[in-house]
Amino acid sequence: MIHMAGVSKIYASGLVALDDISIAIEKGDFVFLVGPSGAGKSTFVKLLFREELPTSGTIYVNGRDVAGLEPSEVPYLRRGLGIVFQDFRLLPNKTVYENVAFAMEVIEAPRREIQKRVNHVLDLVGLRHKARTYPAHLSGGEQQRVAIARAIVNNPAVVIADEPTGNLDPDTSWEIMKIFERINKNGTTMVMATHDKMVVDGMKKRVIAIEQGRIVRDQEGGQYGYEN
Amino acid sequence: MRIRTFEYFVREALSSLRHNGLMSIASVSTVALSLLILGMFLIMVLNLNHMASALESQVQISVYLQDNLGDRDMREVGTRITKIPGVVQVTFVDKDEALTRFKQRLGEQQGLLAVLGDTNPLPNAFEVKVDKPESVKPVAQAVAQLKGVENARFGQEIIEQLFTLTRLIRLIGLALIIFLALAALFIIANTIRITVFARRKEIGIMKYVGATDAFIRWPFVIEGMILGSAGSLIAVFLLVEAYTVLTEQIYQKLVFLPLIPKYPFLNYISILLVVAGTIIGALGSTISLRRFMKV
Ligand SMILES: Nc1ncnc2c1ncn2[C@@H]1O[C@H](COP(=O)(O)OP(=O)(O)OP(=O)(O)O)[C@@H](O)[C@H]1O
Ligand SMILES: [Mg+2]
Repeated sequence: MIHMAGVSKIYASGLVALDDISIAIEKGDFVFLVGPSGAGKSTFVKLLFREELPTSGTIYVNGRDVAGLEPSEVPYLRRGLGIVFQDFRLLPNKTVYENVAFAMEVIEAPRREIQKRVNHVLDLVGLRHKARTYPAHLSGGEQQRVAIARAIVNNPAVVIADEPTGNLDPDTSWEIMKIFERINKNGTTMVMATHDKMVVDGMKKRVIAIEQGRIVRDQEGGQYGYEN
Repeated sequence: MRIRTFEYFVREALSSLRHNGLMSIASVSTVALSLLILGMFLIMVLNLNHMASALESQVQISVYLQDNLGDRDMREVGTRITKIPGVVQVTFVDKDEALTRFKQRLGEQQGLLAVLGDTNPLPNAFEVKVDKPESVKPVAQAVAQLKGVENARFGQEIIEQLFTLTRLIRLIGLALIIFLALAALFIIANTIRITVFARRKEIGIMKYVGATDAFIRWPFVIEGMILGSAGSLIAVFLLVEAYTVLTEQIYQKLVFLPLIPKYPFLNYISILLVVAGTIIGALGSTISLRRFMKV
């Protein structure tokens, strides 16, 4: 599903964010990326959806050579991915329903399909009853659930999340993780960068620890391993 | 492209036009002004051309005869001219009549002729009318070859001056049009840049969920096209009104000035301007998207 070989990322400033990373994440895996601030977790995640290009090495995601893609092929890579951010990134002038539908509209899905899928994923995140609400009238946890609904509405093979619970309290974080777990149970691969010790320790999934751009630990059912 | 997608593009374009209120109005006005001036020059140049060819069809040829010809010779020349193909009318103007006419034309300044005393420097002449404007030149040339003819002239100078004027106006117009088109392009590009900036969050999300660049660009291009065509419609409206008033006035007061009739002339001008405005709009947004949004 995700294969990296000898991947390095050196930013224009000369900073080495990732240093010779090789890793395989298979279909249905649930992976936490952990590590200190500035370790390179966000950089790792950005390479997967080609927000950044690696300086060297090869990356395969869903069978695509990510670094070798033409710019015009990037949208098709991203259609196979669901991306969730710490700051939700909802559109304030669209309702919950419209925010989720937007992800299908921009890839020109048929209207009937959009209705069916949007209602389905809103059910999945437990927000069908808030479909007509605007993001400003939602709690942080609810907003993140909308963002997750949007990320999965196009049935991606991989969901990539960068600190999705970073702005949420523990209970709400746990709700979000339950949703991710359900998505993962349906066969979707999960890659999540996080600082959330409680979440990592509670979920008992595969943990990849990065420090100074190198993988220092890769463990099934692992612990967070740092003090908060 | 699906119809629904197209609807989506138009909806997005309209909503950002509304969002940009003042900037939209400024763009539309600039385009309108540019195209108005473009249209004015176009109408002016075409009308001058029209006048030039109208005048050309009215010109006659003046055939000046050599001084030493007797009456018989002059009549002989007259007959020969009549036989040239294209000639419809030949009138004899003797030198005394020519002088009288010249004096009339000078009006108050007749005194100038006092230096001539009793001599008359003007030659005997024929005035020749032809069937169609294209005949003027060949007939004049044929006449000039005839024995006893000093030379044959036609209103070539006036027509050429008119054409020179047209060329000049065309040149000035072209420079002005290029300048104004660039101004219109610039302000549309700027408006779209503001729209892009206002929507950068939306654009970011579109990219993350896998919208193609073309899909992201279309609403902006449509917005530019709407700005451009709205401006051109205003210009067209003003031009049509102005030309209508102008032709009415001129037909009343200056009957001899041959303006091009409104229909279908203005239709062509209008279509041209609307197409130009729309292209300027589309181009403006494309430039803006290239420069300010790497999508
Ligand atoms: N665009 C950039 N240009 C230059 N340096 C960058 C850029 N983005 C990140 N970096 C640097 O690369 C290193 C890794 O950053 P990254 O964001 O991947 O860390 P992280 O593990 O996600 O940290 P955090 O836990 O704080 O989010 C950091 O030192 C950061 O300053
Ligand atoms: Mg980070």
